Amino acid sequence: MKLRMILAILLCKGLRLFSRLVHRGGTAMPGRWALKVCPNLLALLAKDVTSVAVTGTNGKTTSSRMIEEAVREAGIDCFANRSGANLISGITTEFVMNCTLGGKMKKHFAVIECDEAASRAVFRQLKPKTIVVTNVFRDQLDRYGEVTHTLGNIREGISGAPDAVLCLNADCSLTASLADDLPNPVVWYGLEKGAITQGARSELSDAAYCIRCKAEYDYDYITYGHLGGFRCPKCGYRRHAADVAVTAVSKQTALGTTISLRSSADGAEQTVQVNLPAVYNVYNAAGTWAACLQMGISEDVITRALATFQCGFGRLEHFDLGAQGTTMMLVKNPAGCNQVVDFLESMEGPFVLVACLNDRGADGTDISWIWDANFEKLEGMKDRMQHVYVSGDRAADLQIRMKYAGVPADIISVEHSYEKLVEICKAQEVPIYMMPTYTAMLELRQTVIKHCGGTDFWEG
Amino acid sequence: MELKICHMYPDVLNLYGDGGNIITLRRRLQWRGIGVSVDKLPIGSSASLSAYDLIFIGGGQDFEQEVLLDDLHRGKEAELKAAIADGTTVLAICGGYQMLGNYYRTHEGVQCDFIGALDLYTVGAKDRMIGNYVFECSPENGGSTIVGFENHSGKTWLGSGVQPLGKVITGFGNNGEDGTEGARFNNVFGTYSHGPLLPKNPAFCDLLLQTALQRKYGTAELAPLDDAAELLAHDEMIARLKKG
Repeated sequence: MKLRMILAILLCKGLRLFSRLVHRGGTAMPGRWALKVCPNLLALLAKDVTSVAVTGTNGKTTSSRMIEEAVREAGIDCFANRSGANLISGITTEFVMNCTLGGKMKKHFAVIECDEAASRAVFRQLKPKTIVVTNVFRDQLDRYGEVTHTLGNIREGISGAPDAVLCLNADCSLTASLADDLPNPVVWYGLEKGAITQGARSELSDAAYCIRCKAEYDYDYITYGHLGGFRCPKCGYRRHAADVAVTAVSKQTALGTTISLRSSADGAEQTVQVNLPAVYNVYNAAGTWAACLQMGISEDVITRALATFQCGFGRLEHFDLGAQGTTMMLVKNPAGCNQVVDFLESMEGPFVLVACLNDRGADGTDISWIWDANFEKLEGMKDRMQHVYVSGDRAADLQIRMKYAGVPADIISVEHSYEKLVEICKAQEVPIYMMPTYTAMLELRQTVIKHCGGTDFWEG
Repeated sequence: MELKICHMYPDVLNLYGDGGNIITLRRRLQWRGIGVSVDKLPIGSSASLSAYDLIFIGGGQDFEQEVLLDDLHRGKEAELKAAIADGTTVLAICGGYQMLGNYYRTHEGVQCDFIGALDLYTVGAKDRMIGNYVFECSPENGGSTIVGFENHSGKTWLGSGVQPLGKVITGFGNNGEDGTEGARFNNVFGTYSHGPLLPKNPAFCDLLLQTALQRKYGTAELAPLDDAAELLAHDEMIARLKKG
């Protein structure tokens, strides 16, 4: 067994080295081969590692980065799958890169972002101490199927780690239902009524009907999407009181948010700066708070980490491109896309929008979701939106979407070349917002970095 | 001129960007100066379906199917059948298309009775049929080439009472076996092309509008629109699928 493990480690490290020599990322492939040689390699390496895992539809990467920042701030030497390779292959590669040839871990703390479907294979080997489930929204349906299917995958994943403490988003009726049939201890986090201006009840809710009895939920308040103070009038299933509760979002700017937070540890409220805008990042901060407290990190340290943290990697990442800079905001599904559109709406002054849509495996091959996203709001911004450039494999579909959303046809252009896009951006006098899907982000970001600096994704 | 559109069950049958079809119908009428109103008919609400010129039914999640059948049995089923018999234009997609048929039998053999407005039935298969696909409408359905995305595990078989909407060029269509796609009965158009079917297929969208206007006003001359953007997306996908 030991020999098999060492062979797998050698193979993994070798393939990784080779990938880097030929200038490929090599984040998932080495681990995939290593697992073929030694299927329980991750379990063997993870047994000496304390880990926090983050899964859910939206906010995995940002939450993981926030937690990692707090762990480092606490003086703990940790590693993380920062490149976004969040299947068992990529996670295994990350572990191997942090162990000796003999299979001894060099670091004993890990922050692991895990794909929802992959959680089934990952959690039973990883045995995380804490698992954060951010939310469940409709996502790439061609890959994940319906939301209840995604939820089933996460439930099965967690059942492989029955001792893990769960940090669950109390405001998401789907996520919260995980507590129903899992034995794990649960810490709840969420936004209280009145914390933000009430979101509108969308007819496109991903969870309008009770997960237990199928009656339509009533809501005391909605934050966004189907998140909020839900309760079922028929069976009584309702939002669980939050242990980590955001009671107010007092200040929102393009750069950050100020929130009031109460965690049950002492019951007192405190003011916390989150170094990122938008409501979804308030949820990420609350989830981070819950997970870090669980791991024994002090509130002072978490506060410092949230205030200074930088996410990068296409999540509200800033670049010195154009006279007023460029902000890149990854979009993957309607819920996330609506949050980005809301963010654009909350900003003032003229801007240029660059939207890139790919339909490769990691993006989801079905692009129908762009019609669920509320691009109609862009029509209301047409006086200050100077131009919209659409790009990516499915630029033509994005162009129609913008046209039917009411964006004037004469300010929409298709530009397939990222090189040309970056040249166009360089000449802009107004802020530029880029919203690419995942694989488009990888390519676009690399082109942007080539022109204005930054690091390749595998260097983090 | 004005068309009254009904979006049935937008609260439940709204998977995969179905709402894009309503957006498209509305815009293409507005751009031509034709009046349009859209009523949403969620579960539990009542409205007379005979008041509408065009009814849209989208696809949904299996989880919510029971909720839907309960609601249909409480009166909408009869109304919908009457509207169809009366020649109302109906676009039914994916789950909504299946639901107009006689029944759905799961892969395990459990049968769920549907409303039987169209002479067709669906049988669950083991593997899902997923991907971009192309089909050609038969001449009586306008003869246009349609690009869409299908994602279904049900195989639908047509009875003698309905005609296929068209024939599959690439992809699966109704069942992946007999080469048919969709169904046409009276002015009902059923298809597996889910989500935003109409934006990229302006000729088909206009056929629906024409059918509804013809029934209401006896004439339906639609002014041409600049469809360059729509046809670019349409043609690019056909070119991509041809390349394989």
